[in-house]
Amino acid sequence: MKNLLELMGIEADRIHFSWISSAESTKFVKVVNEITAKVKALGPNQRFVKQAAKVA
Amino acid sequence: MSEWEPKIVSFLCNWCSYGAADLAGVSRMEYPPNVRVVRIPCTGRMSPKFALAALREGADAVWVSG
Amino acid sequence: MSTYTEKIREISQRLLKECKVEMVIGFRQGTLPMMNEPCIVRKPEEVERLVWDSNCGINLANYLTNRKEKIGVVAKGCDSRNIVTHILENKIKREQLVIIGVPCQGMIDKRKIAAGVQGEILSVAEADGEVTVQTAAGAQTFKKAEVLQQNCSVCTHRNPVIHDEMVAEPVAEQTGVDPYADVAAIEAMSAEERWKFFEELLAPCIRCYACRNACPLCYCPTCFVDESKPQWVGKGQDPIDVRTFHFLRAYHCAGRCTDCGACERACPVGINMRLLTKKLNKDCLALYGWEAGLAEDKRPALDTYKANDPENFIH
Repeated sequence: MKNLLELMGIEADRIHFSWISSAESTKFVKVVNEITAKVKALGPNQRFVKQAAKVA
Repeated sequence: MSEWEPKIVSFLCNWCSYGAADLAGVSRMEYPPNVRVVRIPCTGRMSPKFALAALREGADAVWVSG
Repeated sequence: MSTYTEKIREISQRLLKECKVEMVIGFRQGTLPMMNEPCIVRKPEEVERLVWDSNCGINLANYLTNRKEKIGVVAKGCDSRNIVTHILENKIKREQLVIIGVPCQGMIDKRKIAAGVQGEILSVAEADGEVTVQTAAGAQTFKKAEVLQQNCSVCTHRNPVIHDEMVAEPVAEQTGVDPYADVAAIEAMSAEERWKFFEELLAPCIRCYACRNACPLCYCPTCFVDESKPQWVGKGQDPIDVRTFHFLRAYHCAGRCTDCGACERACPVGINMRLLTKKLNKDCLALYGWEAGLAEDKRPALDTYKANDPENFIH
């Protein structure tokens, strides 16, 4: 999945996968911190966002 | 909006990461408020559709965790 | 090539006469040059309709999905791989099929021919690796190797992988071709360039779904693009919706696509959407050592678990 998104020109750090057991709350916090930092560094998502108003 | 904050749509497995998130909350741990959690019954419920839909609707990143 | 036609007719006639099959699926001459159509023959005396030449690019595995009859099917290399995929996915039973294998030497890309001549094409004939095109202005000859479909020119599975009958001796497989050179070229670009590349590639898409319909893998009763509750993807020509469609369509073919080229062939505006499926084929081969449809007894890469499956994308 990630590879094809990258091929289309989405930045790699826009999609993350992880594996956390229900007992690993510390890992959860760690991963959230890491991902947030990475996405902050990337800046807002300009691509793949539908610009026109969506009719639901 | 003075400073941009990323929106991270998170798909968390009910039994794994959702549990971890719950435990983190119960344990009064602090973590960034940028994640928006979607609980899925199992990571097997995940579909590429979800990730694309999230990005399309303006998410800055997608996070899938089992 | 005409010997292929003779042999296909002969085998079909025999199978129908001996009631080994109820129908034979093959090709008949199209109403326009280079547009051969799929054709179902049910009676021995009708086999004269069947033909074979280098315009049989449509994938006949597409016509087998969920059929209950006993069927004889004409299959070139890629069709046979799609038939294997169909068998693995329980869309048809091996016992139902008599596969008439055709060693294939590539199919002609009608767009390359149309681009090379002036005016309307009246007829197309081929002999000894050359293709002669008759137009109102006169005749013009092309080397067949130069007007092959792109996927055929880099094909490494020309002979059927499973067959019950063969119309000719297997042909030599191509060696020394790099099927993934075009994908590698895109991978070498920056994220910015890639985004632009696909923007331009997909810009002409009119969302006719011909690529989906031509594809033997696309047999879902309701395609995700037709679902409206929830609606996964908008129905218009919004560039993001177009991109979502092509992305998901390719993704549904991950580990199943045989690069038969039916999608590109069917596209009315000539989009090379195979670049997306090919990227997934390339990854499947690199990550799991898997190429679709080569063996009946191997489960596909994406529905098996191995302890050494790559997991470096997981935190």
